[in-house]
Amino acid sequence: MITIEIDGKSCQAESGQMLIDVADAAGIDIPRFCYHKKLSVAASCRMCLVDVEKAPKPLPACATPVMNGMVVRTRSDKARAAQKAVMEFLLINHPLDCPICDQGGECELQDIAVGYGSDVARFQELKRIVPDKNLGSLISTEMTRCIHCTRCVRFSAEIAGVREMGATGRGENMRIGTYIENTIDSELSGNMVDVCPVGALTSKPFRFTARAWELQQRDSVSPHDAVGANLHFHVRRNQVMRAVPKENEAVNEVWLADRDRYSYLALQADDRLTAPMIKKDGVWQTVEWETALKFAVKSLHDVSCQHTSAQLGALASSTSTLEELYLLQKLMRGMNCQNIDHRVRQADFSDQDVAPLFPYLGQSLSDLEQLDTALIIGSNLRKEQPLINQRLRKATLADRGLISEHVKANMMAINPADYDFNYPLKAKITDPSLIKALASVAKALGADIQAESCENGQLIAETLKNGQNKTLLIGQFVQNHQQASVLKSLISTIGKLSGSKIGYLAESGNAAGAHLMGVLPHRGVSGKAIENKGLNAQQMLTEGLKGYLLLGLEPELDSRFGATALETLKKAQCVVSLTAFKTPAMLEYATVLLPIALFPETSGTYINGEGRWQAFNGAVSPAGEARPAWKVLRVLANLLQVDGFEYASTDDIRSEIGSFHLETPIADNSQCNPLPNTFEIPTSNELQRITEMPIYAVDAMIRRAGALQKTTDAQKSTGIVLNAQQFAHLQGHDKIDVSQNGQTFELTFRLEETVPQNCALMFGGQMLGNWDGFLTVGES
Amino acid sequence: MSNSLLTPEICAQIDKWIAKYPVDQKQSAVMGALTIAQDANGGWLTQQWMDEVADYLEMPKIAVYEVATFYSMYEHKPVGKHKICVCTNISCLLRGSEEIVEHLEKRLGIKMGETTPDNKFTLKEVECLAACCGAPMFQIGKDYHENLTPEKVDDILNRLE
Amino acid sequence: MSNNVVDYLQRLTLSELFKGMGVTGRYLFEPKITVQYPEEKTPLSHRFRGHHALRRYPNGEERCIACKLCEAVCPALAITIEAEPRADGSRRTTRYDVDMYKCIFCGFCEEACPVDAIVETSKFEYHGEIRGDLVMTKEKLLAIGDELEASIAANRALDAPYR
Repeated sequence: MITIEIDGKSCQAESGQMLIDVADAAGIDIPRFCYHKKLSVAASCRMCLVDVEKAPKPLPACATPVMNGMVVRTRSDKARAAQKAVMEFLLINHPLDCPICDQGGECELQDIAVGYGSDVARFQELKRIVPDKNLGSLISTEMTRCIHCTRCVRFSAEIAGVREMGATGRGENMRIGTYIENTIDSELSGNMVDVCPVGALTSKPFRFTARAWELQQRDSVSPHDAVGANLHFHVRRNQVMRAVPKENEAVNEVWLADRDRYSYLALQADDRLTAPMIKKDGVWQTVEWETALKFAVKSLHDVSCQHTSAQLGALASSTSTLEELYLLQKLMRGMNCQNIDHRVRQADFSDQDVAPLFPYLGQSLSDLEQLDTALIIGSNLRKEQPLINQRLRKATLADRGLISEHVKANMMAINPADYDFNYPLKAKITDPSLIKALASVAKALGADIQAESCENGQLIAETLKNGQNKTLLIGQFVQNHQQASVLKSLISTIGKLSGSKIGYLAESGNAAGAHLMGVLPHRGVSGKAIENKGLNAQQMLTEGLKGYLLLGLEPELDSRFGATALETLKKAQCVVSLTAFKTPAMLEYATVLLPIALFPETSGTYINGEGRWQAFNGAVSPAGEARPAWKVLRVLANLLQVDGFEYASTDDIRSEIGSFHLETPIADNSQCNPLPNTFEIPTSNELQRITEMPIYAVDAMIRRAGALQKTTDAQKSTGIVLNAQQFAHLQGHDKIDVSQNGQTFELTFRLEETVPQNCALMFGGQMLGNWDGFLTVGES
Repeated sequence: MSNSLLTPEICAQIDKWIAKYPVDQKQSAVMGALTIAQDANGGWLTQQWMDEVADYLEMPKIAVYEVATFYSMYEHKPVGKHKICVCTNISCLLRGSEEIVEHLEKRLGIKMGETTPDNKFTLKEVECLAACCGAPMFQIGKDYHENLTPEKVDDILNRLE
Repeated sequence: MSNNVVDYLQRLTLSELFKGMGVTGRYLFEPKITVQYPEEKTPLSHRFRGHHALRRYPNGEERCIACKLCEAVCPALAITIEAEPRADGSRRTTRYDVDMYKCIFCGFCEEACPVDAIVETSKFEYHGEIRGDLVMTKEKLLAIGDELEASIAANRALDAPYR
């Protein structure tokens, strides 16, 4: 520790710390544009010039390491003169278009110009004009306003990990951009809007709709991935206008994935359900809540009277809040029905009794940064968990600079397709079944199994053995695999033999909550085993029941069973759907539609992958006649005469949940079925189907966020992807016929090297056959 | 990659540059590689050339664009057979570069930054070329011509014609 | 004693009456200052703050750029604006309401306007017949602007030397 003096104030600092950090910690304000605490130092704007004693010229505080006994003055005449001069230069080419600039009112340049700018411009010449660029559907540009701080360039290189932006040209002709017409395709691109200190990069969906001063800020938590990113909704006249990150070092740092940032657009979706609807004599009619609830209760009651309550089933989306999920299972169990599930994408339930309590990350999110070895298994991590991937990138690269990158951690991957990672992988295996690859690694570690060796299997095993702080991360491919239990046994063995932690990458921001609340047919709240187990999601959606209660779920899109689920639901006697949206499919199978609030409209709690409880309040009131799902469930329970539903608020529900003492849940991720000695890998001379749940289709809200659907990532997740070499002969065709189990679809296709031979990559969130199995393709 | 612009001969030349730098810092050879590419393409760079250099040096494409647009010796439009780079910085200015520029423009009938219709000459204004002792000066191709006067300029151009 | 005599004489000669009639008589010939409203009108200052209007540029393009400074500055919260990008990409209002029931005619909106779009005109004669009639929409405000543009421009020109 050394001591320096800033503006007469004595400050403690670490040697080598930058002056601006020390000043920030001491609450001394130094103006800056290019400095950002999460990005590398550029020292290009020169706004933070300060007067350092014994230095001949003012020094940039962001690039001056502190030294013992340093005396710094940030407001001396010399410092002020330098800062004002820099300000004048910056304003030379900056247009005076604050009235039409979306950044107006929250602009760093505007704020600092008030303090350091002069009231009269001495520059008489013409200002520079820069043409705008089309960077895609999320970011709009006004490049004339750019002050060349290069924050966006550094963000894209260092955090997003794709060098998409750059500074071309020189001097007055320097331009920030992509040089060639190119969209920004990063899954974290929205953060560029936040880091831009001026109005050069602004949010396209938000463009021109509101000003900073008319917005009220409300906190919330995003449920779209295992991170549970903290965010602020900015609200005007009971409408969410935009979402920005809420700083939380432990969870999302200062970033937001685009999915979290733009999902609010679904609040205004065209197919939003705003009033209850019932289907009477085959005709849909909009009715009062009372009528709809009575109708729903009668329908459910009829099923349990005419048949048994075991002919009822409840399916929930794991993006529902903890309180909603708790009430759902309490209601169903109150009716003596155990058919409750949320695992609509899971295929293998054979190890459910020994499975971990919940999909636990196995460590905290910030621990991920300390890893020196990690094996990612079955996950397109960049798209599946953008912010977790960002943490791993941080762990991998010591210096995420613009040019050189020094690798400090060994990242490895076993994936069904050769997915793109924005950091170097020490080793990877591309194996569509995953079993072969995992078995070879397990065998190389000394497991007593019969397995062929795989290229890189030995290398992965050795790297894992030599690592200190190591983890295995289990992605959605594993969790939703047809032989998931076998894979988990193998992973558990690898974990044990190599001494690695095991972490699950949960599918959504409250998958942990759904497990802990017992939205499962075999376990109650806090994982208590249920004696007479109910049916799991697969059985419910394929075998068929008489009555269904759906919570925020669109099984035909959310589940792995697609069209099969739709057919099954159509045959049911009654389907009561608590939903925020009405789809044509829903109108076909449902009997009652009860409009519910989306997460920005209700209060609740989410438990993220690391087991962190995050409670939030509603930011706006629900659309139209919609009501929070917990209220709907409470009234349904009251009308069904199930006891114990006298809640006045979500706090009441939470305090009841509190009696289970689950505040800091931990799961033993090594729990699994015993490891078989030999493995069955299904083979066929047809193409093996690999199905990925694409980044912008993971839940009902995301599927309706218009701006996200226009991104390259969304456009790319349609049709079918085939191996480029194997199917080179298809080049030139628009569409091909894809047949699976006797069904044929006409699909667009892409040829890529990343998909292994004899495989076909398809995307979930559509009604296109089962998620796995074999298929054939032919020219249409 | 079909029809690569980087022929084995060009790659061999670039490899000579790469060999001058540490093994893990291939991108240090970018300026040399771009010069070779520019010469191979008749004095100017296209996006495809820059992309192929980027791929060859395993660096982001945008980083190559940055370098290629920063330095004045890289051209992004076709240039004439002889590129006349006239220094107009302070030393040359004081020693009469304005007169030289005026003379050149008059003689060639083009303005700074333009190419003659017969694609023979391109005029370009550049910053200091570190030959202040011989100001005013210009560079044609790889040769420096110092202590210029309108007569000397005529003489040089005549010899080129 | 003498006061009584004077009083008596004054009353007898009706002098007060004649004095009064004198005043009346004098004003009978003075120039008349009563304005016969509505047939006649008083002159207005060019700074008069009357009914609002939205102006256009001479080429017909509306001036307002939806910066919302008037909405922010309005002490009576009488202005409501909604905006979005127009088809040509420019920033325009989709809604511009001035609630005349709330407006206190302080003129802050025109002071705040960077493009002289919202102005207070000399128009002060207006009425509403049904509830909501005096919530002025963008269309109504633009129509008033079009109608009164000549006088608005003249008033602005008169005030220009003092700005």
